[in-house]
Amino acid sequence: MTSGVKGTFDGGDEAVVGQSTRIRGRISGEGDLRVEGAIEGDVALAGTVLVAEGGSIEADVEATSLVVEGTVSGDVSVSDALAIRATGRISGIIRAAGVSIEEGASISGRVEAEFDMPEELTG
Amino acid sequence: MANTVIAQGITIEGEITADEDVVVQGTLRGKLLAKDAVSIEPGAVVEADVEAGSLAVSGQVTGNVSAADRVDLLAGGRLIGDVRAARLTIADGASFKGNVDMDV
Repeated sequence: MTSGVKGTFDGGDEAVVGQSTRIRGRISGEGDLRVEGAIEGDVALAGTVLVAEGGSIEADVEATSLVVEGTVSGDVSVSDALAIRATGRISGIIRAAGVSIEEGASISGRVEAEFDMPEELTG
Repeated sequence: MANTVIAQGITIEGEITADEDVVVQGTLRGKLLAKDAVSIEPGAVVEADVEAGSLAVSGQVTGNVSAADRVDLLAGGRLIGDVRAARLTIADGASFKGNVDMDV
């Protein structure tokens, strides 16, 4: 299967919710997911979730890693890395091992990232 | 690429509404409403009513299906449920249990 995705996905069959597709319900399982359309329902995936520009998820998201270029309204729990791109918007509580936020991104909520404080701060 | 793909390993419980082609390789429980072509591929498990522009089944479908254009039950495909479509083909090696309404 060919797809226009570059970067974060490392081959294999990738699930896509296309631009003019709306899903109301729960998505679970293993694999990468690219969201160009709208999802109203929880997403729990062992894999990378990419919310593309124009795409939206209105519910909680659990994933190994998450890239947000679109909109996520709900709590986000990521075991690996979360990247919020310039066009991305998240409203909800964010939990991730690593968070990167580009300039221009919009976040309303709280970020709970786990990291070690540098020595000069912990004294 | 204007497509929705439910890849292998992915389970969706709920309703999918799509104005574009849909390919199902994973599991779907609920309902699928699509304006264009829907393909249920080998390995896919669909426990849902399906409405589509056209429907090709080579995986497993349990539920009533209807298509504006046609339904093709391909070799290896398994469909348990009623079919409503103007055109229907059932390939050698496909299994089917249900009623057919061809709108005559």
